[in-house]
Formats: sequence, C-alpha cells, structure tokens
Amino acid sequence: MRMLIETETMTEATATLDRPLNEGVLANGELLVRDAVPAALISMREIWKTYQMGSEEVHALHGVSFDVQKGEYVAIIGPSGSGKSTLMNLIGCLDTPSQGQYWINGKLVSAMDDDELARIRNKEVGFVFQTFNLLARASSLHNVELPLIYAGMGSAERHEKAKLAIAAVDLTDRMMHKPNELSGGQRQRVAIARALVNHPSILLADEPTGALDSTTSSDIMNLFEKLHAEGNTIIVVTHEADIAARAHRVISIRDGMIEKDERIR
Amino acid sequence: MRLHLYSTWESFRVAVASLRSNKLRTALTLVGIVVGVSAVIAVVTIIKGLDQTVASTFSSQGSTVFTVAKRPLIITSREDFIKFNRRKDVTAEDADAIARLCPACWRSGIAANARELVKHADQKSEEVPVRGVTLSMFDIEDVSIDAGRIWSESEGEAGDEVCVVGTDILENLFGNAPPDQVVGKEIRLAGRPFQIVGVAEKQGKIFGFSRDNFVFFPYSTYQKMYGARDSITIHIQVPVAARLEEAQDQVRAIMRNRRGKTFADEDDGFALESQDVFLNLYGQATSNIYIVTIGVAAISLVVGGIVVMNIMLVSVTERTKEIGIRKAVGARRVDILRQFLIEAVLVTAIGGAIGVIAGFALAYLLSFLMGFPLLLSINSAVLGVGVSSVVGIISGLWPAWRAARLDPIEALRKE
Repeated sequence: MRMLIETETMTEATATLDRPLNEGVLANGELLVRDAVPAALISMREIWKTYQMGSEEVHALHGVSFDVQKGEYVAIIGPSGSGKSTLMNLIGCLDTPSQGQYWINGKLVSAMDDDELARIRNKEVGFVFQTFNLLARASSLHNVELPLIYAGMGSAERHEKAKLAIAAVDLTDRMMHKPNELSGGQRQRVAIARALVNHPSILLADEPTGALDSTTSSDIMNLFEKLHAEGNTIIVVTHEADIAARAHRVISIRDGMIEKDERIR
Repeated sequence: MRLHLYSTWESFRVAVASLRSNKLRTALTLVGIVVGVSAVIAVVTIIKGLDQTVASTFSSQGSTVFTVAKRPLIITSREDFIKFNRRKDVTAEDADAIARLCPACWRSGIAANARELVKHADQKSEEVPVRGVTLSMFDIEDVSIDAGRIWSESEGEAGDEVCVVGTDILENLFGNAPPDQVVGKEIRLAGRPFQIVGVAEKQGKIFGFSRDNFVFFPYSTYQKMYGARDSITIHIQVPVAARLEEAQDQVRAIMRNRRGKTFADEDDGFALESQDVFLNLYGQATSNIYIVTIGVAAISLVVGGIVVMNIMLVSVTERTKEIGIRKAVGARRVDILRQFLIEAVLVTAIGGAIGVIAGFALAYLLSFLMGFPLLLSINSAVLGVGVSSVVGIISGLWPAWRAARLDPIEALRKE
C-alpha cells in the first residue's frame, strides 16, 4: 500500500484533534491514514529539512513522503546537491527533520531526542558507509561487536553473535585483523557485518562501492543481493546508475523533492 | 543499575583499550601527573620528617628542662632588647637560691655563653660557641663523653683551664684526628691555653647547623676570664615532664621575690623559658614556608591537570571520527562521556599511584641525603591519588562533554 498525504492536514493532525483520526480521502480516492502508526517499515511524511545560511533559509528537502516496506531493496539516486545525503542522514536517524513525521518500525523518530535516536540507530539501522568508518585501532571482531556493546549485551553472547556475522560475510580468517591489514572489499564486508550484527530493520548503505574497484564493487553488490534474498530490507544511497539498477525500486531525488519513484524489478 | 554498572565496565574496557593503543599520549599524560603527585608526596614526607627531627632534637634535651635568664632567647624588637638589657643580671646566687628553695626541681646548672676565637698551633676557628658550665650541665644537656673525661669537681672549683670539646673542633683544628689522640692536647681560647680533657660524642646537624661546634669549660674559669660582666643562664630540670609547670611556678616565685617584684608588676624581670619556645618559634617560622612549598607542589599538580585536559582535548579532536562511528552505531551521549571521563580518571589515577611511589622514593632519597627520619604516611598517598583523580575528573570533564555533544554527521565527515 502506498500512501500519499495532503500537506496541510498532516501537520495539523498531530496538533489538533478537531477531526476524527485515521480518516481522510486523498484526491485519488486512497484512504488517508493520518495519526495512526503506519504499517510500513519506514514511513516518511512531508519531511522538510531547512538550514539557516546566514539570513537565508535553504531547504534541503521539500516535503518528501514515501514508504518502504519490510524486505524491499531500494536505491535512492540523485546528483550531488539533490538532498539525497540529507535524506540518508534522516533515514539513518543521524539527524531529525525540521518538519514532518518519520516512523521506523512503528516508532515516531522525528520527535525523538539525541539519546533516543542513538537507541534507534543501534536497534533499527545498520550503516554501511562509502569510507567504511571502521575503528582503525580495533580488530574486525571488535568493530563488529561495537553495536552490541552499546546494546548492552554481555561479552560472551556478543562474541558469539559477532563471529556469526563475520562468518556471514566470509571473513572468519580475518577476524583479528585491524582495518589497515584488510583490503577495501574486506573492510566493507566488516562494515556490513557490523551493520547486520544487531539484526536491524534496515541496512542503510551510503555509496557502498564508492571507494572500491569494479570487481570488488560487484562482489559487494552481490552480497547485498544475497542479504536481500535472506529477507533484509536494504536502502542504498548512490549517484551511480548501475549500482541503483541492482535494486528493485529506485527513488530519484532532485532539488530536495522526489522526482521519480519506480519499481524496476 | 545492573546495566549501568555493566556499561561502566564496558566503558572502562574501551578506555583501557584506547589508552593502550595510544602509548605515547598516555605516557606523556602520566608524566604530567606523576611529576605533580610525586612532588606533593615528597614535599609532605620531607616536611613531616623535618618536623619529627626538630621535635625529637629539642625534646632530647627534654621537655623536662627550662631555663632562667636575663633575656629571652628570641627577641623580636629593639625596644624589647633595650628593656631586657636594663634588667638585673641573673647570677650564680640566683641559681643557688633556686636549688635551695624549689622542691619540684630535680637538678640545676649554670651556663654562660660567649663566642671566641679558638686556636691550635697554626689552625684557628672563629666565633666558636664557648660555654662556661657547671658539671651538672653535662647531665641536663645529656652530653656524653666519647674520649677522655669531664673535668673533676676540684678542677671545676679551682677554675682550671680545662675543657671538653665537640667533634667539630677536632675537624677544624686537629685535621680530624681521632678523639683519643686529641685528649691532653692544648687549644687557645681567647688567648688562654686550655687543656682538652674530653671529647663529646657527635650529635649531628640540625637545619644544616652543626651541634658539635662548642667548647665547654668550668663556669668558675668563665668567671675568672670574664668577671661578672655577663649574665648567666640557669638550666633547671624536673624529674618528670608532668612536674614542669609546678617547678616553673616555684622558680618564678623565687625569682620574683629576689627581684623584689610585687603582684602588680607585669614584667618578671627575667625570662623563664622551656623548650616549647623553640618548637613554637619553629612552628611559626616554618608554617608559612610549608604553605608555600606545598603550594608550589600543588601548582605542579594543577599543571599536570592542565596537561591531562590538553591531551584529552587533543584526543577528542583526534578521535572525532571514532566518536562519530560510535554514535552512528548507537552510542548515547552518556556512553561517550563515560568513556572519555574514565579514560581521564584512569590515566590520572595510574599517574597518581606511580607518583606516590616516585614521591616516596624521592623522599627516601632526600631523607637519606639529609639525615631525616623517613615518615611515610598513608594520608599523603591517599591525598596524592585522591587529588590526582579529582584533577582527572575535572580536567577530563570538559573534553568528555565536548566529545559527547559532537554531531554524529559532522563527526563522521571528519577524516
């Protein structure tokens, strides 16, 4: 089910209860669900992100709305400056929107404070970055354990889970190696293991192959496909069309708005 | 609560790992703290040793001894000096009267002091404290004889030119000859020939001043040499310290009576003093020095704290990326804060512990070199580690708070 929302009703809905909830009809006749918790895994409603640049307000996102269902493989594509990085930060709960509502897994993230966001990042989001972002001085195992530490898991259980996650990306023999002893592809696989170790709702990848050669890139994209096949929800943010083409759905962003949202597979 | 303890333990492990992976940074921080803490510990220990030395030195003569003299030992103003000089001299007759009339007194002696040029052959020593004393002074001042003997009673009464010397005289005039070779030799004191009949046991130094530079000779001889031109000091000893006050009261009454002082007279007309005078003076004179010294040591601790803060701040900047990564995977502010705080406290606590050991070692070395007793106190160790930990918390707090508040997006962007 896809939902489209009218701008003004959405912001009002949370503030005032002068109309019955869970009601409203869009222009196309679809039923509008307003305050109720959306059924989708990810649900963005009229998301605005505004930056103050001196006296000028710059809108990085202009009322973006979309849903992602559990198990989807989505690519978010757009040229640089399109607002896709901002969108990625919002999806990953690294940032909060200036306006609008954002749910992950039934939780209204847009109203959360820093520490609640940290909890969500820990439980719901697995990040894969272009530059890997591994702790340079820590072993692969420790890097993969990191989210579990902040989840408050005991060390024995943590070790067990981290080892499984590392095995899942085929790096068991590199478990005690530090990032600088690994190739780019291996580092990215450690990062993927770290992203998945806490069984997040979404795997959020930001240009995951940006720092890799084409063979390794292809390996990583194959791994993504495998993870998707296993039931993981994956969102890849990229500016490369061929990477986006591996996904099942492509959302194109331009000038802070969704330009196109199409299912390609 | 369980989770809280658990997270603290995790943060502790993270902090240890981070300290270990940055050995140079950790070592520099440690040095800052170690220097500060060891300075404090060493100073405190040395001061305590010094106090102990002074107290035991003065009480070796004992809190059982007090003196009666024309002038107090410590005169703080010119007016007082003039006033005290107008007083009647304290005489041998006063000493007799006290010996006769004070039941609480055990024994008393007379000492008259001067400073003279002392010569032997072509060797000479200037400004040597020379004392004309009665025989009982050897007992009262607990002077033991190393070689030879004390002059006899008859020699003393006759005013013979015999003397007992301290070991410095041997050193200065006899080329450090052994005491038994010096006995029987002659020295010239104020131009008069004196025969050395005994050498006193070495007493050592206090505050760098030797206590072995003296010549004792009979009081009768002193009287012959100097006439009655100078006042004497009467030394009175009581059998036990508990009777000191009683004896002092009796002596004061006797002396006031002999000076014709009425109840209304505020001034005694003489100075009655016990060893407390020295200890009090010592306390007054040194307390300010101590405060300054401890202050200087404390400054080095503060500097150490600033070093920690500086290094922690650098560490936050240097590890911005790491903080970003940790936040991205779910570290809350409190997790980051705790990690950096524990790191700071850990490094300062370890530095404190090493500083305590280094401080004690330093104190040991100094006390060995300067001849103090070594008094290691648990208090100063607790103080050292405690203060350094507090310094650690305070100096770690700001960097840790800054780290905790970093924006994860900004932090991740940092290379």
